[in-house]
Amino acid sequence: MSETFFRTRWFEDIPVGEFHVFGNHTFGEKEIIEFGKKYAPQAMHVDVDAAREGPTQGLVASGWHVCAVWMKLMVTYMERYATGVRDGRRNGAGIGFRNMRWIKAVRPGHNVTYTYEIIEKPEKVIRGKWGIIRSRNEGYNQYGELVFSFEIDILAERKPLVAGE
Amino acid sequence: MGAQEVSMKYWEDIESGQVFQTGSITIDAADIIEFATEFDPQPYHLDPAVAEESIFGGHCASGWQVCALMMRLLADTLERDHIPSRGSPGVQSLRWLRPVFAGDSLHAGITVTALQQAECASDPGRVQVSIDVLNQKDQSVIVLDTELLIEHRPAGAGK
Repeated sequence: MSETFFRTRWFEDIPVGEFHVFGNHTFGEKEIIEFGKKYAPQAMHVDVDAAREGPTQGLVASGWHVCAVWMKLMVTYMERYATGVRDGRRNGAGIGFRNMRWIKAVRPGHNVTYTYEIIEKPEKVIRGKWGIIRSRNEGYNQYGELVFSFEIDILAERKPLVAGE
Repeated sequence: MGAQEVSMKYWEDIESGQVFQTGSITIDAADIIEFATEFDPQPYHLDPAVAEESIFGGHCASGWQVCALMMRLLADTLERDHIPSRGSPGVQSLRWLRPVFAGDSLHAGITVTALQQAECASDPGRVQVSIDVLNQKDQSVIVLDTELLIEHRPAGAGK
């Protein structure tokens, strides 16, 4: 079997239905507060005591923090298969997402496992060379509960046409 | 009646079509590298030289950092205007339209598109918004549709 080059595949070689469990992360109190202070300075993300008295009944990670960790684990996972690829040229750039749902609170000590499934390859060519890979991404906590979900569109380079083909 | 109560803006005080202008945030190369090192360690976010040759054509922020900066602009605006928020259940759609480069300064317009009252009085009301995040040239860098959960005016609270 040939080696998998996760990031160097052409658009045409990426199959709908491909599924990966690409990583997991335990959210610590300190990192939740750090992210909150920088990007979402609201009591539920930065102030343990106020959060306990508030509607969330305790500190919760910002939804964007849960997303940022998705990205971190995705990059780590892809790099494992990206032997020799320095710039991720053939695929990787996101153009947008839909249906981002923050379903359950992610609290200090919670472990989120992230999954990725390719659900569609819309028939659309962007700037003459890029195709779109649409994937459904989900996060499950240590109780097996779905905590977050979204569908992202990522560009993948289409196989160049060879003259005479 | 405390001074704080008087200045609070609840779900009842928000109108469809209303536009909130945020303040602005400038992002530099060190900010981009710091975020990318932790969350998005790809060469076009980490290394200005490599970035020049990439699809983005320059040293640019992770798209997720742009989302996080949007959140910061939004959170600061809610605080500035004394609007008590309980966060958001999600984002219906978001598009990354342009890269955000080192040195760019971002601001946003938040337009209220719909309002939905909570069924239970103790729950927050729903406020649909379209958010347009722009750079210093007033070019949109991301646009998104999301829903904010905003507290209802408590019974007895003065207007």
